[in-house]
Amino acid sequence: MNDGVFTELLDLACGAFLLAAVAVLWLRQLTSIVRAFALQGVALAAVAALLGLREGRGELLAVAAGIGLLRAGALPHLMRRALAAGAPGGDGRYQEDVSEARETRPLVNVAASLLSAALLTFLAYAVARPLVALDPTPVTRALPVALAVVLIGFFTLVTRRRALAQIVGFLLLDNGITATAFLAASGVPPIVELGVSFDVLLAVLVLGILTTRMRAAFGGTGIDDLRELRDR
Amino acid sequence: MNPAGTAVALAAGLAAAGAAAGALLPGRARVPAVGLCTAGLGTAGLVAGAAALDGARWSARLPGLLPPAGVHLAVDALSGLFMAVAGAVVLAVAVYGIGYAAGRGPHGVASRGVQAALPVFALTLVLVPAAASVSTFLLLWETMALTSLVLVLAEQRGRASVREAGVWYAVMTQLGFVLLLAGLALFAAGAGGETFTALRAGAPALSPAARGTVFVLMAAAFASKAGMVPLHPWLPRAHPEAPSNVSALMSAAMVNLGAYGIVRVAFDLLGGGPRWGWLLVLGTGALSAVHGILQAAMASDLKRLLAHSTSENLGLVLVGVGAAGLFASAGHPLPAALALAAAFLHVVNHAVFKALLFCAAGSVARATGLRDLDRMGGLRARMPATAGFFAVAALGAVALPPGNGFISEWLLLQSLIEGLTVPGLSTAVVLPLAVAVIALSAGLSAAVFVKALGVGFFARPRSERAAAATESPPGMLAGMGLLGLGCTGLALVPGMLGDGLSRAVAVAGFGGGPPLAGDGLELRLEHLAASLSPLWAAGALTAGLLAALALVRVTARRGRRSHVKLWDCGGGAPTARMSYTATSFAEPLQRVFDDVLAPEQDVDVTPVRASTYLVERVRFRRRVPDRIEHRLYRPLIAAVDRLGEAARGLAPGSAHRYLGYGFCGLVALLLTLAVSR
Repeated sequence: MNDGVFTELLDLACGAFLLAAVAVLWLRQLTSIVRAFALQGVALAAVAALLGLREGRGELLAVAAGIGLLRAGALPHLMRRALAAGAPGGDGRYQEDVSEARETRPLVNVAASLLSAALLTFLAYAVARPLVALDPTPVTRALPVALAVVLIGFFTLVTRRRALAQIVGFLLLDNGITATAFLAASGVPPIVELGVSFDVLLAVLVLGILTTRMRAAFGGTGIDDLRELRDR
Repeated sequence: MNPAGTAVALAAGLAAAGAAAGALLPGRARVPAVGLCTAGLGTAGLVAGAAALDGARWSARLPGLLPPAGVHLAVDALSGLFMAVAGAVVLAVAVYGIGYAAGRGPHGVASRGVQAALPVFALTLVLVPAAASVSTFLLLWETMALTSLVLVLAEQRGRASVREAGVWYAVMTQLGFVLLLAGLALFAAGAGGETFTALRAGAPALSPAARGTVFVLMAAAFASKAGMVPLHPWLPRAHPEAPSNVSALMSAAMVNLGAYGIVRVAFDLLGGGPRWGWLLVLGTGALSAVHGILQAAMASDLKRLLAHSTSENLGLVLVGVGAAGLFASAGHPLPAALALAAAFLHVVNHAVFKALLFCAAGSVARATGLRDLDRMGGLRARMPATAGFFAVAALGAVALPPGNGFISEWLLLQSLIEGLTVPGLSTAVVLPLAVAVIALSAGLSAAVFVKALGVGFFARPRSERAAAATESPPGMLAGMGLLGLGCTGLALVPGMLGDGLSRAVAVAGFGGGPPLAGDGLELRLEHLAASLSPLWAAGALTAGLLAALALVRVTARRGRRSHVKLWDCGGGAPTARMSYTATSFAEPLQRVFDDVLAPEQDVDVTPVRASTYLVERVRFRRRVPDRIEHRLYRPLIAAVDRLGEAARGLAPGSAHRYLGYGFCGLVALLLTLAVSR
């Protein structure tokens, strides 16, 4: 693989990676959000695989396969299952409306969210400039994309109400961090990556259970119903 | 090896042994073992200090301890003076403490935690003056604060007032520590090193603004430890609520370190402070002296009275220190050295008599469970030894001959009057005022201690507890005896200290020869044709007193003695309730200082239900609140409280809000980073 092709492919993968994060902000239907997240998992796996092919490191390819399996396969599957458990008629209980399946009223509306995503991407580029200047290769030039995804993930956490959207926000954050590790340092050792992946899997399992319990307790998954954590 | 070094090592070893004994030994063996270790530690401190006062110097560096910087220790005459005072007090109070804590329950003063903290506290009292680097000093200082806090809280079980005192003490002492940390960090950064040697070398390079800031920060920090107005409110709370042996240690040894800190940092390390700074120190001292003694005059809680008197005496010490700085900054080393020597001598005198006073108060509290003077009385007949020791110490505290306090206050007055020769408007205005303040506080302290001794120990008992009092065990009396000997010795032969004091003053670096000289019988002021021979004065006084007594005896024989009943206005025999109490004794003084003290009183009349003309009950209540505390701390605490309440609004329970804080923080940080690059 020559340099030109590699750069093109890497930029394509990173572009898809960022686009998927923006799509999470843009979409309202929770199933579509999960689909966008799965797409991002594919893009992340592609980044890892490209780096592995480029540097001829077998273990990076194995890590890429693992990431693809986990983030494009297992996690979206778990989330879909959590969604299906709460769908109308799924458990035979009456549902007031279909809003459980949609992110109807985010704290910041969609247009403003997209604008914020653009600003956060600018910020990521501005912050990463000195890092890129240290070693300006095609790989490090893509670093701001990973930082932007971290910020967008955090933004999703702050502004979305549904528990599932929160999970996706958290996973976006984690995807961004993983991508930063790949782009800045060609990945962390496989054992660390394995540990992190296991952690993420557990977190999603727990959050899935939490979502189900919330629905049972409050009849909805808006996390604004959780207000016990306060002084007094 | 140097005797001072050996003694310091021995003291550290004994403290470790004492702490281990306190933590591990069971019930009955614990208190004597800890007491013996602590007494040995005090002796070692006294020996090290005495050797240093005799001219020995010692320094050590232990790089293995406290790894990044290592521990630096150095003993010179100035540290020696304060080590000797602390060591002597620790020795006597530890002997006293064995009797005091023996036989107490498993909680309180005989408990594991308290007994383990006691030797550590005693060690820090002895070692703080020996610290020779910023990190060592701060470590010892903070250990001292923490262990003393544990000791203050010893009897907190079921007593809210002790916990309140603990909170005040903890907050004020940590506030002081923050100031100290800031000041020393600033100083070390400016001087380019953290050992005292480096600070001394780097001090001349500091800018005047930096010098002023360091001076003010350090002076405030040390003044809070010395209980100076307006950083004093912890003192009249913590000292009364602590067990009496701890109060004695705190009041006689710990507060001195505030004065030590100012002298060490301002004179020795900084090489003299700004003139306005010294005026500030002098003014604070004078204000504290008057405020402390006035509050003591109004207090009817015996230990609270003693605590306020501590504030007064340390105020007088700071008057001396401030005057010394003032004279030195004007280029007059001789009166400066004399004023500093007077301040040092007052530190020594105050330590001994105040330790004895607190021990005697603890002895009374142990026998009767009372601290309220209004309910005491008649203790002289029931506790003659305690009463005698209290009288000896009170004589020292009233600044009248032949007490030991008189000598240092006389020296202080001499130095201030001598200082009038220093030209300048500030000295011309300030020094006469300072002289007046010393005179006023001396006069008031006479009233205070007449009240404490007369109302507390003489006349008839005013409560059943006081009537049932018995003398304290011999261990406590032995400790008090040591302190009583110290008081008498300092009163009769202060000349013994002359050379040592001169060496300690020389560390301050005024130049111009020793201020004092003396032999056993006489204390001479060099450069000033004045001397004092207290032994002769005391002898003459005793002879005069004996002659007067004999005269009375002789003349009384002439007349015929007849026993008749007093005329009692038909009201029956006078009862103990009719005798003078501490409150009634202080009433005239309170009237004189009505405008200053602003007492609060309310009269509550309850009429009989059937008639408005007949009264069932009249309740009269008067409080004399600490005005500075009311005006300064109440609004401050209320404001902090309101801020705290408002801050609760930051945590409404919304997870989005909490996540938002994190996100905004991160974005703000990144923005700053992006903009500032």
